Amino acid sequence: MNICRKAPRSQNITEKVKPEHLALLVKTEWQLSYVTPLYQFRHTQLKTYARQLSAFIAAEKQQGLAVEVGGLQNTFKVSFSVLQGLAETNDDPETVLIQVQSKPMFARQEDPPKTVWSGWLSCINGNPEYLQSLPKDFTCLPLFCSKGAEGLSSLVKSWLQRTFDCCFGPLDINQTTLQWLAALWTNCHMETNIQKLKMIWTLPVVPPLQVTYTVDSDDALELWRSTRESSAEKSRGAEDEVTRFMQGLMSHFYRHFRVDLSAGELNQVSSALGSAKLNGKIKISSSRYLISIFSLLTECALLKMP
Amino acid sequence: MATLLNLSDSDHSGLSDQSVSTRSSNRSLRIAEQERRKNEAEDPFVLALKYFSEVEAGTPVTGNDELENNLVRVEKVAFSRGLSPEAISIMLDFAMSLRMGSSPCARVLKCLLPASVVPQEAVVRAIVWLTVRKLPTSTQVLFIKWVLTVFDMIDAKDKLRAIYGFIFSFVTDENLCPFICHLLYLLTRKENVRVFRVRKLLEQQSKLGRQPYLLYLLSLYKVFCPELVTLSIPSRMKSGFKNHISPWKSALIGVQRRNGVQVASGISLAFAVRDKTASRKRKHAHLELPPLSPVTIKEPQAAQGSSRKLVPMQQVQSFAQLLQNMHRIELPAQMGSLLGSSLALQYLDCVQDESALLRLNFWLGYALHEEFLFCSDGGANKNPEEALQFLNRLLSAQHFLQEGFNSSDAFLFKFLNVWDGSLLRPQILGLLSNIPVIPSSQIKALLFDPLMQLFFTSSLFFKCGLIECLNHMLLKWLTWHSAYALEDDLDISLNSHTSINITLSGFKDSVMELVHFVGRLASLGLQLEGCHSLLLSFILDFYETVCDTFLKFGLPLVVMPPPGVFYPAFFAADPISVDRLAFIMHRYKVNLTSAKRQEKVTEQAFHISRQTFREFNRYQVFLVNCLWNSNMCYPEAEVRLSDELLAQSGVPQFSTRFDLIHHPAFVSYALDFHHKCWPGRKDTDLNSIKQTKPWSWYLEYLFTQGFDGLKDFLQNNISRRVMMAGDRREDGTQSQELESAPQIKQPLLS
Repeated sequence: MNICRKAPRSQNITEKVKPEHLALLVKTEWQLSYVTPLYQFRHTQLKTYARQLSAFIAAEKQQGLAVEVGGLQNTFKVSFSVLQGLAETNDDPETVLIQVQSKPMFARQEDPPKTVWSGWLSCINGNPEYLQSLPKDFTCLPLFCSKGAEGLSSLVKSWLQRTFDCCFGPLDINQTTLQWLAALWTNCHMETNIQKLKMIWTLPVVPPLQVTYTVDSDDALELWRSTRESSAEKSRGAEDEVTRFMQGLMSHFYRHFRVDLSAGELNQVSSALGSAKLNGKIKISSSRYLISIFSLLTECALLKMP
Repeated sequence: MATLLNLSDSDHSGLSDQSVSTRSSNRSLRIAEQERRKNEAEDPFVLALKYFSEVEAGTPVTGNDELENNLVRVEKVAFSRGLSPEAISIMLDFAMSLRMGSSPCARVLKCLLPASVVPQEAVVRAIVWLTVRKLPTSTQVLFIKWVLTVFDMIDAKDKLRAIYGFIFSFVTDENLCPFICHLLYLLTRKENVRVFRVRKLLEQQSKLGRQPYLLYLLSLYKVFCPELVTLSIPSRMKSGFKNHISPWKSALIGVQRRNGVQVASGISLAFAVRDKTASRKRKHAHLELPPLSPVTIKEPQAAQGSSRKLVPMQQVQSFAQLLQNMHRIELPAQMGSLLGSSLALQYLDCVQDESALLRLNFWLGYALHEEFLFCSDGGANKNPEEALQFLNRLLSAQHFLQEGFNSSDAFLFKFLNVWDGSLLRPQILGLLSNIPVIPSSQIKALLFDPLMQLFFTSSLFFKCGLIECLNHMLLKWLTWHSAYALEDDLDISLNSHTSINITLSGFKDSVMELVHFVGRLASLGLQLEGCHSLLLSFILDFYETVCDTFLKFGLPLVVMPPPGVFYPAFFAADPISVDRLAFIMHRYKVNLTSAKRQEKVTEQAFHISRQTFREFNRYQVFLVNCLWNSNMCYPEAEVRLSDELLAQSGVPQFSTRFDLIHHPAFVSYALDFHHKCWPGRKDTDLNSIKQTKPWSWYLEYLFTQGFDGLKDFLQNNISRRVMMAGDRREDGTQSQELESAPQIKQPLLS
């Protein structure tokens, strides 16, 4: 990966993004996907898209029944909205949030509809060279995060695919990114209590061995600080710091249990600030480092582009 | 057939032409009939028709023998010959107007078998009668069924389309609805699809439930106006409209057969089943082609006016239609769907729409990456059958377009690094051979390094396959060069869709790199595989392409094969390899000579390096010395072993062992010739062939065995004089004679 990993800086995101929007993004576990550029996507036509998608969902849910587009849907209501302020650079298109609301079958008239599915398409700090190389018919929102029933996810995806001629593929959070998140969260302990840094490894033995490695946050921060100090003298990059931080954690584990974790695979990292899994599930509990994390994920998604 | 009819005005021109001709033939028939009428007493059939056209309203039916007799007459004609357009018109009018009540109506309808065509006016009039008079429901249904049956025989459809709204109003009739929907399906055009009609159909749907006929009509509406209605057809409902043609079908076929006309082969299945292979079990079916569906959300500025006339790609079913609608075809919502249709590819090739290609490339790249590189659900190893189909389809699309797709090239460069050389080998090699010219600065990293690794670690068959693939690649590059490169314009575009340009010298560098690379692979491959003759054959294929680059493809470049290829080919034990080597050397000579000549004529022409001429001459002298002069160990030879060493081998006259007689590839021919030449001789002395006369006979004999390469080589390099005066070939003077002979063109030694 040709990522320039600067030390993360905590941005004051609350000034840019509306708090109610931020509340929608944090504290939920998102399933990540990458998306190829959308053809003829217009931020100005979100209402039309909402009508189309709700008719599409209704038609797919009731196979063999035609549905008028724009007709009143009593089962599913779709809304598209722009999450203003999440884009970082001028090249980044604004983030788009999609919500599917539904009224439970036996709900009372006055009950508000419940959000049963939500997802968002975003591009935060996308590679400007790549973004500028696309013709203007294309909008690049490479990162797709979704939450809700699998069936609805695939319906929304298939509608987006048909409408904007794009493709969806699963985006896993690879080892490097997981390690980077572990270091990032440890670093946050200087400001907020992250309680514990928890990592789960699987080792390729028969039967498979799963190791849950929990480090006290103070100890982790101390290790991180010492890593950074020593690397500051040798003026090494941030990526190297992360590697050496992980090596420190692993050699500590080896001293105690004689198990070399580097032979296995890091599956999950979590702390009070959030959790991330290898299979592309991420949950962020604080908006503080949201932009850094999603910049990184945008980059991972762009690397998957054909 | 029926789906095509609602596309454009001219697409039924064939039908209307036909109707014109049948009409005129009817006219001549009529004249003949009139004459007959004068000669004979009046035809009872004509009288019967006259009766039906003139019968007064309210005439009683029961006990009316006249009606019965006339009806029987008409039926007789109808079931034997079919009814003329006029007769159909009269009878239909009689029945639908209910002049004699509704009881004879069904009987008349059942005998309305057209001999040629059905006049549109009659149908329109009958539909009008449908609203005016109270027909019994069963008769109404029978009438619409009849219209559906003869739909393809109606001479024109414009007036029927004009009363689309009128016909549409019948959908509210529960009994007629299934048949009206079918009729509307056949008539609908884009301008007929309106919001109020969609709503009316949806209203019917909520009243009647999920009826397939409503769904099929709505699905056609969706094709034309996806922004108005959406639906998804369950797979069990994909069979189409039921065929409502039973009462007439067999009788109609009989009539048509008797008349010797084939107007329409009955109504074809009006509903095109979208996707027959719907039974996909995979969760992420990235290798499935998306369906050919129209764009749902139109560009705001295009939504008015122009989009009315756009024709969705899905509706184009023949090349003729493609040509007619070329200017107003709407690309499908998902470009990946084009890959499945050669018509669509045809169109894609013509339009050169950058966005469209980019969309196709995104999809293709995504599918290939997911399947072969990310392997998110097992990948190609798990679904070899699907992957195979997909790649075959991609290959056939590339062959059709005669070029590759950017995304598949980019994918291949990544995939070669992880490929095991056996997974889907023919397909991957096929894709590889479609790769466009790579600039020489990148060719090593992208292509040569991964291929080199694969080549040396894989089986003989892979080696052969790879050499063949590289030969195809070279051929494509050269063909592309000869097709696109203009002499005065050195900048040539790499591929008709990209803007990357490459200069002529850049192109030459790339070709040279490729040829040298194959030379290296070939030399080492032959060593590794013990000069296997199969591998050698593929290598010689490659050099047959290389030796003709100048004359066949106009590329001013001549690259000689490395010694590692030349000598194994010459020492090969099979005569075919030696013959092909001789042919290749002959073509090299022809190319070099003509390049030399051109260099003299046009001053600025390219320069072939002295090194190339030197290599060529060295090989040439070697070949002539070995084959012709029986002197392998001449002083300047490139391959030289000390005489002592050769003497130790115990082979007598080692220097002559590779002449045309003793060469292992030809010795059997020499023996055969010897037997034929001197049948009585008991002791075989092959050297006796070397005398003047037997020698020239021997050559003739070899040439008749099909060694054309050898023939070309010898006839062009050994002058006639030498050929004839070869009596003292054994002595050392031969080589001098050869050197001074005009056959080895001295100018080549520039």
